[in-house]
Amino acid sequence: MSIKTDVIIIGGGATGCGIARDLALRGVPHYLVEKGDFASGATGACHGLLHSGGRYVVKDSESARECISENAILRRIARKCVETTGGLFIRLPGDSKRYRDEFLASCDEIGIETEVLSPSKALDLVPGLNPALEEAISVPDCSIDPFRLCMLNAYTSRHRGGGILTHHEVVEIIQEKGQCVGIKARERLTSQIKEIRGRVIINAAGAWGDKIARLGGTSVPMSLSKGSLIVTNHRLTNMVINRLRPPSDGDIIVPNEAVCLAGTTSIPVSDPDMLEIDPAEVDIVATQAEQMVPGFGSTRLIRAYTGVRPLLMAPVQNGDGRSISRGFQIIEHGNGMFSILGGKLTTYRLMAEKTVDVVMTHFGLKAACRTAELPLEGQDELSGYPLSKRLSSMDDIVCECELVTRQSVEHAVNAMATQYVGDIQHRTRLGMGPCQGGFCTYRALGIMQELGRVSPEVSISVLKEFLQRRFKGIRPALWGDQLREEQLIESLYLGILNMGSKP
Amino acid sequence: MSDSLHDVVVIGGGMSGLTASIYLAGKGFKTALISRGDPVCCLSTGCIDVMAAGEGPLEAIADLPGGHPYRLVGRKGIEDALKLFKDTMAGSPVPYVGTPRRNREILTPIGTFKTTCLVPRTMEASQGCRDDYLHVISFSGIRDFYPSYITSKLPNTGFSLYDAGVSSTLAIATRFEEPGFVDDFCSWLSGIEIPPGRVALPAVLGLRKPVALMEDISGRIGRDVFEIPTLPPSIPGLRLFQALKGSFQEKGGYVFWGKAISSVEIRGNMVEAVTLAASGRPSRVQGRAFILATGSFVSGGLFATRDAVKETVFDLNVEIPGPRNDWFWNDFFTPGHPIEGSGIEVDSSFRPLGSGLENLFVCGSILARSDIMKNHCGHGLALATGLKAAKMCERMLT
Repeated sequence: MSIKTDVIIIGGGATGCGIARDLALRGVPHYLVEKGDFASGATGACHGLLHSGGRYVVKDSESARECISENAILRRIARKCVETTGGLFIRLPGDSKRYRDEFLASCDEIGIETEVLSPSKALDLVPGLNPALEEAISVPDCSIDPFRLCMLNAYTSRHRGGGILTHHEVVEIIQEKGQCVGIKARERLTSQIKEIRGRVIINAAGAWGDKIARLGGTSVPMSLSKGSLIVTNHRLTNMVINRLRPPSDGDIIVPNEAVCLAGTTSIPVSDPDMLEIDPAEVDIVATQAEQMVPGFGSTRLIRAYTGVRPLLMAPVQNGDGRSISRGFQIIEHGNGMFSILGGKLTTYRLMAEKTVDVVMTHFGLKAACRTAELPLEGQDELSGYPLSKRLSSMDDIVCECELVTRQSVEHAVNAMATQYVGDIQHRTRLGMGPCQGGFCTYRALGIMQELGRVSPEVSISVLKEFLQRRFKGIRPALWGDQLREEQLIESLYLGILNMGSKP
Repeated sequence: MSDSLHDVVVIGGGMSGLTASIYLAGKGFKTALISRGDPVCCLSTGCIDVMAAGEGPLEAIADLPGGHPYRLVGRKGIEDALKLFKDTMAGSPVPYVGTPRRNREILTPIGTFKTTCLVPRTMEASQGCRDDYLHVISFSGIRDFYPSYITSKLPNTGFSLYDAGVSSTLAIATRFEEPGFVDDFCSWLSGIEIPPGRVALPAVLGLRKPVALMEDISGRIGRDVFEIPTLPPSIPGLRLFQALKGSFQEKGGYVFWGKAISSVEIRGNMVEAVTLAASGRPSRVQGRAFILATGSFVSGGLFATRDAVKETVFDLNVEIPGPRNDWFWNDFFTPGHPIEGSGIEVDSSFRPLGSGLENLFVCGSILARSDIMKNHCGHGLALATGLKAAKMCERMLT
């Protein structure tokens, strides 16, 4: 028994979800398959920056143009996902003045609105900045919630007949007479196989793009580069802070909900499934961030994470992923598969539009793209849990760090019928605070058991998997109070619950 | 500034500091105990783990590496400490059972069994519970206990929920001390069909007289009843702490609670005094001898920076297991992450090595090479080294 549709989308990141929304608005039946939860690849592991284009303006004017145009569109259509923080590029003593002049000239040329601010004006806006700064240039950078963005794009698809399967890994691409005609996907926990047949397959698997292409008997030229980031336990700036110099390690700080993210590094990798964060990367990013915002040095880091930039292979490489174009490309493989490669979160909508245009031409259909004009649907329903709402009921707090109540956990569990505690965490912010789910994950799984959504046997293995994944993110940034917290969590799980392996 | 003079000043109100304080106060020394707050034993199961390996924890000690604090204390010292502990608790609302010659098992809230040595009387019937039918009683909406973790893991179990009207362990424990609550609870319990066997419930049987409550319930339903420790806040941990602190105060000990040390005074090779931070009126506490029992990272005795570990009161030398990348294994579940071995090295008299200080003794989890999670030896090590440091201190003072 197989599901039949027109377009199969592989990948539930921003691009895949954006394509699903676009297809839905143009009335094309489709099915999206994702091996984890939404945004579990590069989308969820980026710094959540809605680029103004300033970062690319000097070296890659094409990308910068796309960014500033999409920036304006997303601020309009995705109001509940975007925090219009504004951004600053700050020049510290020793940073090149020539780069600054080029930067301003290029911004003017492309149409990125800038204002040159004196140090005192900049400090007025962001008191935590390094007081030694020479000047700051403001740009319309914003902070964006990548996870909610995916959910909202998927929402439109779901409400217009699209199918969405998360936690299903594509294990086979069915080929008949040299054409890709469908996929087989395996559910992560149960290993159950589902078959979906379609007329076209879109490979939007990001860093996994080549792995998917190979299942379809072809390949795509990619260059993978990992970027690592760190998360502080509170906001040290209300604006995005960039370093005014050519792109380099540790040149950006982005405020996001209750925390700040600082990044990034850029190290070539070969396999997106084998990622480790080196403590030295954490040190580099923390040290660089401290130069821009001195408070970073003494702030508690709650974890580090790393994502893989799915970049297009450039003809000549110098080993640094940053010099490779952030542009994107659509490859028509001629066997029913289309791959969308490269790009970045900020331009996801444009990438989706161009991809769907190609598919429409392939089908011989005509319907214009409407994703830029219509606001994302469901924004009020899925606007997350604003603090004001969270504080309205303090009776039954399950996650003390993020003030998530039992009621909201139950609501999320019931609404999604999910077996995955990560799904609950992404949707409620449960476990996102300083203890990183150390206390509340056990509770969330207990509640899922009570609601009959997960069997207790499964929940122990889910709990173990969660603890290991959590530890992987925390380990490279373990010192100070976070190390203290970690030792406490260890004493709960390895001590009180005796879950340690035997020595 | 207020100023006071004591024979011994114990810094740290956890298991090791309390043990040292109780012993010294019992011997008639004027003893002051300084604590920044309630200790981490309040978060523990309340059971005394000595060594998980082997049948008898005392035998397993011989297999420990030479630098382990247990090896410095010796077998006799450990037995003495456990005896002192049992005797102290015998007069409290929660007497302890068990012997250092043989480990026992308790049931955990996720249905695993945990090896330990001495347990509060309320957990005595946990031993061997897997041989009988076990009925778990839980409470509607309780946040930190989910009986299905247990019933799915162990065959021959079942559970029922009682509505206590509140959802935290501490609130339920308070309910058990309200008049009439136990009557209602027992009449509900007697009304449920339960196959013959034992009854267990999360550790919520009040703070003041848990054993009496347990015996009352057990008598009324005619079955063995026991408590299962919960995640923090832990009622058995709180009881343990309150009993030990109470015992020290009964012996005339003086406590400075909720106070952090802002400075220390050292002259030559002697610690003379510590000053306690307080808004308005700091206190200076002088002593002839000092015991450092501030614990490891969780308690704040040690603090890690990006590339080093500091001892937070005297800035003593701290052994660390290499650069930061070596502090933890990649696998969370492999017990004994190397950072656990960090701490203060002591000589055979429990004075910190290399400090030159003659009237400072160190005990508890701040000691180097204790590897508590690996050995499951936390409270046992605290008791043994606490008593040993106290005796060394006594020897110096007399």
